Amino acid sequence: MYVELKHINKHFGNFKASDDVTVGIEKGKLIGLLGPSGSGKTTILRMIAGLENPDSGEIIIDGKVINNVPASKRGIGFVFQSYALFRYMTVFDNVAFGLKIAKKPANEIKERVHELLELVGLSGLEKRYPSELSGGQRQRVAFARALAPNPQLLLLDEPFAAIDAKVRQELRSWLKGMIQKLGVTSIFVTHDQDEAIEVADEIIITNRGRIEQVGSPYEVYSNPKTAFTASFFGQPSIFKDYSNFRRFDILENAENAIVRPEFVKVTKKNEVQKYKSSAEEGVVEEVDFRGYGIELRVRVNGVLLTARRSFDQPRIDVGEAVDVFIYRMFVTQGDTATLLENKSLREPVVVI
Amino acid sequence: MSAVTQSGLHRDTKGSKLVRYSLIGISLLFVFLMLILPLITVITEAFKQGFAVYSKAVADDYTIKAILLTLEASFFAVAINTVFGLCAAWSLTKFKFKGKKILATLIDLPVTVSPIIAGLIFLLTFGRQSPIFPLLQDADIKIVFAVPGIVLATIFVTFPFISRELIPVLESQGTDEEEAAALMGAKGFTIFRRITFPHIKWAFLYGVVLCAARAMGEFGAVSVISGHLRGKTNTLPLHVEILFNEFQYVPAFAVASILVMLAILILVARSVIEHKGRKK
Repeated sequence: MYVELKHINKHFGNFKASDDVTVGIEKGKLIGLLGPSGSGKTTILRMIAGLENPDSGEIIIDGKVINNVPASKRGIGFVFQSYALFRYMTVFDNVAFGLKIAKKPANEIKERVHELLELVGLSGLEKRYPSELSGGQRQRVAFARALAPNPQLLLLDEPFAAIDAKVRQELRSWLKGMIQKLGVTSIFVTHDQDEAIEVADEIIITNRGRIEQVGSPYEVYSNPKTAFTASFFGQPSIFKDYSNFRRFDILENAENAIVRPEFVKVTKKNEVQKYKSSAEEGVVEEVDFRGYGIELRVRVNGVLLTARRSFDQPRIDVGEAVDVFIYRMFVTQGDTATLLENKSLREPVVVI
Repeated sequence: MSAVTQSGLHRDTKGSKLVRYSLIGISLLFVFLMLILPLITVITEAFKQGFAVYSKAVADDYTIKAILLTLEASFFAVAINTVFGLCAAWSLTKFKFKGKKILATLIDLPVTVSPIIAGLIFLLTFGRQSPIFPLLQDADIKIVFAVPGIVLATIFVTFPFISRELIPVLESQGTDEEEAAALMGAKGFTIFRRITFPHIKWAFLYGVVLCAARAMGEFGAVSVISGHLRGKTNTLPLHVEILFNEFQYVPAFAVASILVMLAILILVARSVIEHKGRKK
């Protein structure tokens, strides 16, 4: 493990920002720290950077405990949420700042800055001030500035939050490609599940100061271990009692059932549906256009479920009675989540 | 800018022509009666008996000493409040500590308290009745009825001007840029010089100008603690009062006109600073 946190605790007044956080990060990986606001993800990042000190616990980078190493000596590049570019300095001076502080020779600084600006595609903008740049360009400058002193670890706090949606999409793949190319171990904080899934090699999910789950995007999405993780991803419909859904095993002490839109198949009465006999009766309450297709809200056994259909499929109207087949659902018991499959999937299908 | 917003406003929100012209009229009339007219009176009264009498009054020994003392007191007040103002504004915006709110409130105290009280405070703290008076006397330090007392009173009165200008600017800046610089290994003074100061420069100069203006014009607090010793502890405003009480109207107005000119100078400086600051 390249970066390790061991039993980290941190309070801000009465607020517990980190609650016995223990997690390890492999060298060269791009890690997404994902959680709702107030879940302690930024605190973890700032403690690794040395901008905050943990109340207790150890922070280890490359085998050395660095709790008492000042932030500037940790060899970390940090990209702030609002980029924190020095607004009274040009792009060149922004990127060169760390190198000047380190008293590098002038020609070396010049070479390195030009190399970095070339890398992030901002050659020719050396003399601009941050206020004369677009949001995406600012982020690239912040990225170049953080990389200038050749850090072993790059930390990014909500790197895409300040950018409008269209450019954000572009920058996500740009950043991912760039970090892969450089091979620098990176951790970024985000509250956006899509962003984490799309960009990260590995996701660390935080909630109320604790680490909920660590794993690849596929793992945390499709195999959530905790109640929180199960309900955090997708666009879940959560309800208490699932005993009316006949085709699912009943677990003891079940608290909530969680059904994601992709677990639900809605078909018109006259459409072909493989599992028609085990489908539930539902009534459509809402039909919304979503660009990628149609989003439906269907009332089944008193529960409102969200489902999706493509434009190719026959139109469904509000108030229509439909067949609703649920492939699987997560059921939570206390803190844990269990995946239940519709029993019909295991049975041989009898076509009548 | 204002033209854009005005033309963008609906007629209802602008009000009728009658309302507009009467509001502008009232403002102009008020400014004329309360500001322009008195200023003209000061200047005309000063030159009533010709330029010779004016220059004689201005070149008077006591007047020159009063000017120098006023400049001296203002200089010290500005210098000391600059240091204090930077410290206070910095700690109030960049640190979290107990008593922060109390400090923020106390800084404003000199603006709300009558200057006479400020004078009395120092008179009672350092004067003959004070328990520390014998100590001061032993050390041969004179504060009351002497220049140090005047400087102290001026500092008190102009206390909040610089910090109050800096606090909002520092607050809006946040701590990100400083943190970024610190992460790259920059030390405290480098951070201040390269990151913080360029940001607060204009607000800071503006505060200095306001502080200087207030310091030069201070009457109440200084009056109580100075003892009105001509040529020794007489500042310009006090000198004007003495001349006036002695029915020397032309010299009184002549000296007053110096204060007016200083005020106008400062006003010009202020506008230039504001203009440049806004361009940034």
